[in-house]
Amino acid sequence: MGSTLVLVIVIVAAVSFDFTNGFHDTANAMATSIATGALKPVVAVVLSATLNFVGAFVSISVATTIAKGIVPASATAGAGGLSVVEAALIGAMTWNLITWYFTIPSSSSHALIGGLIGASIASVGSGAVSVHGIVQKVVAPGILAIFVCGIVAFLATSAAYRLIRRLGQEEARAGYRYGQIGSASLVSLAHGTNDAQKTMGVVALALISTGHLSATHFTVPIWVKLICATAMALGTASGGWRIINTMGNRITTVESPQGFAAESASAATILASSYYGYPLSTTQVVSGGVMGAGLGKRGGVVHWPVVGQMVLAWVITLPAAGLVGAAAWNIANVFGKHSQVGAVVIALLAAAMALGLWTLSKRNRVTARDLDRTGVTPEQEAEGAFAARPAAA
Amino acid sequence: MFVLATPIVDWSAMWKIFAVTLAAGAGVVVAFGFLLLGLKLANGSRANGSRASGSRLGGYTLAGVCGALCLGVIVVGVYAMTKKPKSKPTAKPKAAALIVPAPDPHV
Repeated sequence: MGSTLVLVIVIVAAVSFDFTNGFHDTANAMATSIATGALKPVVAVVLSATLNFVGAFVSISVATTIAKGIVPASATAGAGGLSVVEAALIGAMTWNLITWYFTIPSSSSHALIGGLIGASIASVGSGAVSVHGIVQKVVAPGILAIFVCGIVAFLATSAAYRLIRRLGQEEARAGYRYGQIGSASLVSLAHGTNDAQKTMGVVALALISTGHLSATHFTVPIWVKLICATAMALGTASGGWRIINTMGNRITTVESPQGFAAESASAATILASSYYGYPLSTTQVVSGGVMGAGLGKRGGVVHWPVVGQMVLAWVITLPAAGLVGAAAWNIANVFGKHSQVGAVVIALLAAAMALGLWTLSKRNRVTARDLDRTGVTPEQEAEGAFAARPAAA
Repeated sequence: MFVLATPIVDWSAMWKIFAVTLAAGAGVVVAFGFLLLGLKLANGSRANGSRASGSRLGGYTLAGVCGALCLGVIVVGVYAMTKKPKSKPTAKPKAAALIVPAPDPHV
C-alpha cells in the first residue's frame, strides 16, 4: 500500500513535469512561425500540441532506453528509488517553472538530469554521480549543439537572402512563411518523439521497480502512453507565451526566411544527432538556430544581453535543478526514511510553488493576442515595422 | 590537445551530425528558395503569353524538382525519428546514465 501511494505520486509528478515540459518547449518549435505571422499563435500551439501527441506514439525506443537500458531495476527498486525519482521530478518541474516565470528558454531535459543528480547525491552521496559522464553527455553536447545549429542556420539564412534578391522581397517572405509551417511541424514531431517518451520511460521505470510491469517482456502500457502524450499535448496547447516571446522576438527580429532557416537547421540538427545516438537539447539547438539566423542576414542584430541571460540559465540549470531535487529529497526524509508522508508533503509543496509562480506571472502576462502578427503583411515585415518586443518580466 | 579532447567529445559523430545537418538544414532552405523562384518564373511566363511557354515549363520543372527534394528531406526526417538507434544507449545523454546505481537499502 505504501509503495503504491508513492508510485501514484511519482506518476502524478511525472505527468505534471511532462505538462511543464510541453508549455516550456512549445517555443522551440513555434516561436519563429508566430513571430513572422506564418501562423496565428493559437493555431501554432494547437498544431504543435497535435504533433507532440502523435510524436509520442511514433516509437518507444527512448522510453525503452530509459526504463531498461540504463539503470538496473535494483537501483530504483522499492520506496527508496521512488523517492529519488519523485524528488528529481520536483526539482526539474520547479526549475522549469522558475525559468518560465523569468521568460528564459532552458532545457527541460537538463533540468530532469539536474534533478536526478541532486536527489541521488542527497540519497547516497556524491559518489553516485559521474562528473566525466556529465561533461561528456550533457555539457559538451550542449555547447556543440548551439554552434552546429547556429553555423548551419547562419549559412542557410545567408543563402536564402541571396535568393531573395532574385525573387523579390514580398514574394519570398510570403513563400517562406509556408515553408516555416512545415519545418516547425517537423521540430514539434521530433520533440514529441523525444520528450514525451522520456516521461513514459520514467513512469515505466517506476512501474518496473514496484513490480507492476515486467522488465523481461517490456512494453509501455497504452495508458502510460496516453497520459504522457496527453499531458505533453495539453501543456503545449496551453501555450508558453512568455518563452515564445523571448525565443521569437527578443533574441533577434525574425523574418520569415530567417525563421525557416532556423527551424530547418534545428530540425536537421535534432534528427541527425538523435539518429547518430547523440541527442541534444531541443531548446539549446533552436536557440542556436535563431542566433545563427539573426546573424545570417546582412545587418541582422542579435540582442546579446538576452542571449547572456539564456546562457546563464543554461549554465545553472543542472546545479539549480539539482539543489531543488536534493532539497525535496531532504524535506521528504525529515518525515522518516522513504516515508509516504514525506512524499505527500514535497508533492504539496511543489504544487503550492507552482500555484504561487502562476499567480505572480499574472502581474505581467503575455497572451496569444500580444504575439499575433498574422495581420502583418510581407511588405510591413520587409520595412521592419515590428521591432523586438520588450521583456515580459 | 586533440588527444585530450577525444574522450569527452565523439568528434566522429559530431562531424557526421554537422555534415548531415548542413546538407539537410541548409539544403532544404536553398531548395525551397529555388522552388519559389521556379514558381515565380512560371507565373511570370504565364503572364507573358504563349511565347514564354518554354520558360513556364522550366519554371514548373524547377519548382517540381525542388518541391520533391524538400518533401524527400521531410520523409527522411520522419524515417529517422522512427529508427532511433536502440543499440547505443551509452552514447545518449539520458539523465539516469549519469547516476551510479546505489544499493537498495531495502534489499
